[in-house]
Amino acid sequence: MPRRIRPGRLRRRLAIAYVLVAGISAGALALGSFLLVRHDRLSDSLSRAKDSVTFQLGTLAPNFLPLTEKNIEDLKTSFEHTDQHIVLVTRGDVVVPSNTSFDPPIPSGLQRLVQRGQIGYQRLQSGGHHLLIVGGKIPGSTDELYFLFVEDRNYRDLAQLRNVLLIGWVVVLLLAGVVGRSLAKRTLEPVAQASLAARSMAEGLLATRLPVEGQDEFGTWATSFNEMADALEAKITALSEAQARERRFTSDVAHELRTPLTALVGEASMLREHLDRMPAESRRPAELLIQDVTRLRRLVEELMEISRFDAGRETVQAEPVEVLPLVGAVLRARGWDGSVSVDGDGLVLSTDRRRLERIVANLVGNALEHGGRQVRVTVGRDGRGAFVEVNDAGPGIPREHIPHLFERFYKADPSRSGTGSGLGLAIAMENARLLGGDIAVRSEPGLGSQFRLILPVTESLPSGEGTVASDHDHGARGPRNQGGTG
Amino acid sequence: MDERVLLVEDDASIREIASLGLRDAGFRVTAALDGRDGLTRALHDPFDVIVLDVMLPSLDGFQVCREIRKQSRVPILMLTARTDTVDVVVGLESGADDYVTKPFEMPELVARVRAVLRRAQAIPEETTISVGQLEVDPTGFTARKDGKDLPLTATEFRLLLEMARRPGQVFTRELLLQRVWSYDYLGDSRLVDVAVQRLRAKLEDDPAHPSMIKTVRGVGYRLDRP
Repeated sequence: MPRRIRPGRLRRRLAIAYVLVAGISAGALALGSFLLVRHDRLSDSLSRAKDSVTFQLGTLAPNFLPLTEKNIEDLKTSFEHTDQHIVLVTRGDVVVPSNTSFDPPIPSGLQRLVQRGQIGYQRLQSGGHHLLIVGGKIPGSTDELYFLFVEDRNYRDLAQLRNVLLIGWVVVLLLAGVVGRSLAKRTLEPVAQASLAARSMAEGLLATRLPVEGQDEFGTWATSFNEMADALEAKITALSEAQARERRFTSDVAHELRTPLTALVGEASMLREHLDRMPAESRRPAELLIQDVTRLRRLVEELMEISRFDAGRETVQAEPVEVLPLVGAVLRARGWDGSVSVDGDGLVLSTDRRRLERIVANLVGNALEHGGRQVRVTVGRDGRGAFVEVNDAGPGIPREHIPHLFERFYKADPSRSGTGSGLGLAIAMENARLLGGDIAVRSEPGLGSQFRLILPVTESLPSGEGTVASDHDHGARGPRNQGGTG
Repeated sequence: MDERVLLVEDDASIREIASLGLRDAGFRVTAALDGRDGLTRALHDPFDVIVLDVMLPSLDGFQVCREIRKQSRVPILMLTARTDTVDVVVGLESGADDYVTKPFEMPELVARVRAVLRRAQAIPEETTISVGQLEVDPTGFTARKDGKDLPLTATEFRLLLEMARRPGQVFTRELLLQRVWSYDYLGDSRLVDVAVQRLRAKLEDDPAHPSMIKTVRGVGYRLDRP
């Protein structure tokens, strides 16, 4: 059973890979540019704040020293109408904001930095605003002055940028998904086609070819596939032609041999009648001639029979057949009834009489030739169907030969020429298969062999009884299914 | 004896050895080389039996057989190539009484020729048998239905006579082969089937639905009283 190819699995993987690559690169790009812009904007705003603070601390603030109540009030007022706000810290604990709505707690880290005499800054959020606090000591005093810069605008711009980039990224992701899917589908289309084509070739449609589109790898692949298909088709056609030719040849040879063989058989039969009137020196050669003509006849007839099977022209003409009397008739007709015993029950089968006769004759003939002693035919039925068993108490068949027994011209012992044509068992098997049956072999070296013909039971009438069918002529003519009841 | 046999066979060797064998057995043999020649001889000279090869140049054995049957009831023995082709059935349907398969031994051919000859001989000691409207006269070798003569061949007549002797009894094919065709065993049951068909075609009002010769499935045939 060819494993079924699950369509779409590889396609999905390809699309996912595509989305991942596009997502990661677009994301990295967006994130990078966002960080860059943010850094730029914030450091720009910081440096401007620092410049302004340095100037105001160094130049303006000392004018308000010493920090009396009035000076503090003046200092505050001077900032009241700018968009800048200050927080003044005097003597460590008195905190005076210029605008009460901008009065954040001064972070202690920043304050320590400032107390050591440095200019420090920190960003924080307070009262819904983004604030940049830059502070320093007023030169010539211990008072600290902190300037508050409102950076809301900066942050708003950055947030906007972030949102735009995020939306852009998602759009890229979606786009990559759609494009990736269709791209994967387009890419893998030739693979799906090739797998379909391969399967249809496996099913025997040897004329299957792939369309060659474009000069890409798939185009090359399709060309190679088609070349392989061409070669395969040519090979198989050549093989089957050779086989047909061979079979036709066998059949022709057999047919061409028939006319001279008919003359030979007639002549030999007349020689036999006159044997006793022959001079002694020609009698023995004449006897041998008669014997060999018989052998040749058998070989040619069996060759013709097997070539008819090869041509597939054999048909089954089913009729009710009483098996036990048939076996008896076969044995009597060949003069074997003295050396073969028969037992079994009154089995009636719907089958082809002549083919069954042929099988029985070939199996018994084989048993007599190779087994020799105590050949016994048993007719009966069991769970698997009807059977005709041919047993002998001969030397048995070595195990390694059993699988080949039904091959044409197979001889278990090549040194034994035997009188058989080497086709008897092959013909028996062909006939058995045609009747829907089989032949099983069991053998015990030294004890004997058993050939068991198994046939399907399609109809069984007790012998001697029957119904009158006046409206149908039940003559066994014309091809008919072996299951037909006539 | 001195019965006259016409042997129609195209192969020289087979023709010669068969002639020799039949002459040895006491027949007067005339040989014909092809179908046309055979047909001409068969229609012009009286023969007791015709041995006819199927594969013949100019006119094949089936055609020869059909042509002879239009004018004569002479027993015809076919020489066929194979037992299980349509050859046999076509041969029997074209009117042959029996067949011998090639290759054959001389005693076999002689025995078959004698058997068909025996069938054609009159049976003087019996009286006419009546089954319904059917009359079978063994002495005159004729059969009548409703007073009209039936054109039966020797084999068909013997078959009818055999069944008419015991109407209502079922005859197996084997029994009929033995009684009519003189086969002791392994006769070809198609001989019986085809002969019954031909007999029905001449006997029955509707051969497709026979009212006289009935098929007994799985067993054989029976002649019913009407």
